[in-house]
Amino acid sequence: MNKEPLFRLTSVSKSIAGKTLLNDISLRIEAGDFLSILGPSGAGKSTLLRLFNGLDSPTGGTIEYLGKPLFSYPMTELRKRVGMVFQNPVMVRGTVRDNLCLTQRWGQPSVDLTEETLVSVLSRVGLSPAILDQDTKTISGGEKQRVALARVLLNKPEVLLLDEPTANLDPQLARHILRLVHQLFEKLRLTIIMVSHDHSLLSNYTTRIAFLIGGKIVEEGAAGILEQPSTEAVKTFLAGGVT
Amino acid sequence: MSQSFYVITWTDVLVSFILVAISLGLIRWWKIGLEKTLLIGTLRTFIQLAGMGYVLTFFFRQRHWLFMVTLVSLMILIAGFEGYRREKEFRIPHYFAIVTGSLFFTVFIVLGIILKFILDVQPWYYPYAMIPIAGMIIGNALNSTTLTVNRFIGELQHRDQEIEMLLSLGAPARVAVQDPLRNSIRAALIPNINSLMMVGLVQLPGVMTGQILSGVDPLIAVRYQIMIMYMWITTVIIVDILVLAFVYRQFFTPRIQLRRHLLLKKHL
Repeated sequence: MNKEPLFRLTSVSKSIAGKTLLNDISLRIEAGDFLSILGPSGAGKSTLLRLFNGLDSPTGGTIEYLGKPLFSYPMTELRKRVGMVFQNPVMVRGTVRDNLCLTQRWGQPSVDLTEETLVSVLSRVGLSPAILDQDTKTISGGEKQRVALARVLLNKPEVLLLDEPTANLDPQLARHILRLVHQLFEKLRLTIIMVSHDHSLLSNYTTRIAFLIGGKIVEEGAAGILEQPSTEAVKTFLAGGVT
Repeated sequence: MSQSFYVITWTDVLVSFILVAISLGLIRWWKIGLEKTLLIGTLRTFIQLAGMGYVLTFFFRQRHWLFMVTLVSLMILIAGFEGYRREKEFRIPHYFAIVTGSLFFTVFIVLGIILKFILDVQPWYYPYAMIPIAGMIIGNALNSTTLTVNRFIGELQHRDQEIEMLLSLGAPARVAVQDPLRNSIRAALIPNINSLMMVGLVQLPGVMTGQILSGVDPLIAVRYQIMIMYMWITTVIIVDILVLAFVYRQFFTPRIQLRRHLLLKKHL
């Protein structure tokens, strides 16, 4: 029997005010993939990522999650299962603890938010328990990004969507965050879909790569295609040229 | 002084333009650039209120409940249109219906309580009570909704990333905008609550001043004023909560997605 993929995108397109942002995208993502979507700024990467947890809807084509139309799931439930970390780690006013316990504001959290759980999730993202009661205004950008990651992990997601999580960090911290994401990928058996315009850091972590250029997937395959791309557009992009 | 109250003549009103002339001189001196608008506003006040005086004289002679209810409904419709016009640069779906519906509900609740249980006027549609009180409620409610909705849109514009972060964690729309909702209502309420605190200490409110100038016993005038203060605060709370309860929903799709395009101003 053919196993259903985690996500199946068929001829997906997205236009806003007559401008085409995504054009005829078909993609199959299996459970356990670490897919990196690479492409230059403005290629539509974040637009594509926002479709996976229903923050936006496509204007054409279909998206299926585990064989069912994505939008047939209750959105609040789907977004717990498909967590997202944004490029800019937005914190609500208050302490790290307030941010980790945000889901208490509505319904039943996926896990009991005990002190032990909070300490454990902080340690998973490489933060000390001492940070719990610090005001988020006083913590660094890298720490905020890790708190944002921990906040999503508390929802016990199956999929993690990462929108350029290292874009605002220095190279050393960016490598650290990527290592951390990779550890989570291996230990928690998460499926990861990450968007990035910087390919230099990815080859050690990702299992699959899709190049999104001008709103279209121009090439897709195993991580090895970083070394031997077949299309001119990808070669130009990897060489740092304008595509 | 033998007269019990001061009668103001049309000549006296014209003399009061001296005050406007002072204002005009000041804003011209400071190059604020609102001379024309102020002048138009001043003239409109004169024309509209003078016209209203004659219209009211006619209305006060009417003695049919249907006439009064139609009149108040018409006032609400005009206010609803004005509320819609003020927010036209943002394309909030169904905004005219939301404002007008909320005004209808609020006016009839608050006006009903005042006419029936507080003033106990006979008949209940007695125009000398119904028209001015309805006018005060509608005017106050309209200003408050404008303030609240503007603040709410401002909050959404500044906190769009936070709202989408909350949605992405699985928050329902109502929870994702909980802080913007609270801040908007607080912003509209605080001036009113400040008035409750300060009334009678520093400021003598307009209605009371008007009544006293017209020769009414101050003890009666203050009772009216107390009722009006309570009426204002209740009106603001009811109408703002109602309007926002419908407005915030317009900013989300049925799939609980933030309608970002509604946060952009339309170029008129």
